[in-house]
Amino acid sequence: MQTATDSTERGLPTWARSVVVFLLIYGFLVGVSLLENGIKVMGADTQEALFSSVNNPLAGLFIGVLGTVLVQSSSASTSVIVGLVASGALGVDNAVPMVMGANLGTTVTNTLVSLGSMRQSAEFRRAFAAATVHDFFNLMAVAIILPLELATGILSDLAESISDQLVGSAGSEWKSPIKKWVKEPVGWVKDIYEGVGLETNLLGTIMVITGLIIILLALTFITKNMRQLVADRVERSLNAMLGAGGGTVAMLLGLIITIAVQSSSITTSIMIPLAAAGVVTLPNIYPVTLGANVGTTITALLAALAASRPEALTVGIVHTLFNVTGILIIYPYKPIREIPIRLAEGLANLAVERHLVVVIYVVGLFLIVPLVGVAILR
Amino acid sequence: MVMSFFRKGETGIEAIAHRTISMLGDARHSFDLASAAVLSGADPEAVGADVRDTDERINRAEQEMRGELVVHAAVHGTENIAVVMSYTLLIKKIERIGDQAKNILDLADEGVSLAREPDSDVLLEHRRTISTMMSEVADLLGEPDEEKVADFRERADELRRELENQIRGYMHSEEPASYAVPRAILYRYWKRIVANLAGVITSVTEPLQHQGYADDGETDITDD
Repeated sequence: MQTATDSTERGLPTWARSVVVFLLIYGFLVGVSLLENGIKVMGADTQEALFSSVNNPLAGLFIGVLGTVLVQSSSASTSVIVGLVASGALGVDNAVPMVMGANLGTTVTNTLVSLGSMRQSAEFRRAFAAATVHDFFNLMAVAIILPLELATGILSDLAESISDQLVGSAGSEWKSPIKKWVKEPVGWVKDIYEGVGLETNLLGTIMVITGLIIILLALTFITKNMRQLVADRVERSLNAMLGAGGGTVAMLLGLIITIAVQSSSITTSIMIPLAAAGVVTLPNIYPVTLGANVGTTITALLAALAASRPEALTVGIVHTLFNVTGILIIYPYKPIREIPIRLAEGLANLAVERHLVVVIYVVGLFLIVPLVGVAILR
Repeated sequence: MVMSFFRKGETGIEAIAHRTISMLGDARHSFDLASAAVLSGADPEAVGADVRDTDERINRAEQEMRGELVVHAAVHGTENIAVVMSYTLLIKKIERIGDQAKNILDLADEGVSLAREPDSDVLLEHRRTISTMMSEVADLLGEPDEEKVADFRERADELRRELENQIRGYMHSEEPASYAVPRAILYRYWKRIVANLAGVITSVTEPLQHQGYADDGETDITDD
């Protein structure tokens, strides 16, 4: 038999890969800082023109969905949002709906993965339900929490008080130790661009684009390397889950795997082939996806470490609180907990009967509705 | 479950490899017990529960390992796909050996007893040979050795031909049906067990598309 490839045998040894991940995290923080500084370099008028459209919370929500669908990573989109808040161009109130939108948009990845089983009805039914249970949970969470937040500001207030305790009050300058570490390379990049004659808006735009590219590349390679580093551990714990079933322990597992690989899409997408094969049931997958929802918020918190304003951390904490609150509202009471499962099963049955439903659902929910929403509400 | 993420341990494929060997050990246990019921006068009722429990354990192991193989493929992608498919084929063959051991017990349940018969020594010798082959296969799965595999396959082919000749002999035998039929059936089960063992061992050396076949994919080993 051909020997199985051990994850530590592929390419770099474990220690070297760990160093690479550390450097990539540093690069990611430099990217966030570049983005923040790039926005700051732009004039106030440009900032106003860029971000006035998100004054409407629903528009912000849709922009969050679209941005995340575009980059296929809520970690990337929420990090960008944190960077924008850190620059002062985007307020916490406007950032909160965007973060919720990012949470919705990230579910498109595993829905797309489930389409791979489309030719086999039984497999597709299981895979599509497993993918869309995540969508329905997040839609329910937004439907409940966004109006509550808009009416009371409960999440942002709580996040702000936590942020106050940790790094100081809003409006102040936070002396982040990480910020000091990333200051130098950001300065070098800025100097290089200024050296070729760039200034004000053009300089800011190029710095923002550079920051975005660095963030996306760093996150992509962090995820890739971390996946290799922890693949055997993920496999072992998933095997343990097969024997033990779902529940809160599965949720914890989803959280840990997602923190380890820095991507909820990786965690949830791994579950789709397992669901398609019938190895894991929908009720067992459901808590894993909820854990992944919480786990993915670590990236925005990490990004906030490179920011100079406490508001950036507040947004990162809002992201975590939103997902934890969603679980606390929806998961404990069985009749409410099962709503996303029933909806996902119903949609999967429809999708198996008519594949057009899949196209309408995916394109409608993740593209047309947000695009139309932004066009109308901005 | 959560702690398993933090603990160091064997990789998924290593765990599957160990379970495969243990599954083969269970199959051998069933085979020895069932054969004892037919050939050594052991009480079929006394050994029946153990054989059936062991068969259930083998079946459960096969089902769990299929799940674990899907998990491996989902986590590692396509990089180990050949290994995943090899194990999928291999564990099915071992599961069949467990079923065939149970079939031998069915003979004893039907009242067939070949203990103290004129050909008992020959039958017992075959039983010993096949049981030893199961142990050899388990060893070779644990520590693959191309020369030993080639030697094993040669002996397995020879034994299958010999068992086939016995079956043909009983099909045309002048002996009464009560003599010829149980022997023909027993030899048939043995032949299938040896064929499945040969199929299992092909996974050690052959490329995926030839596993379960001999002569570079020309001859079907397991379903002849």
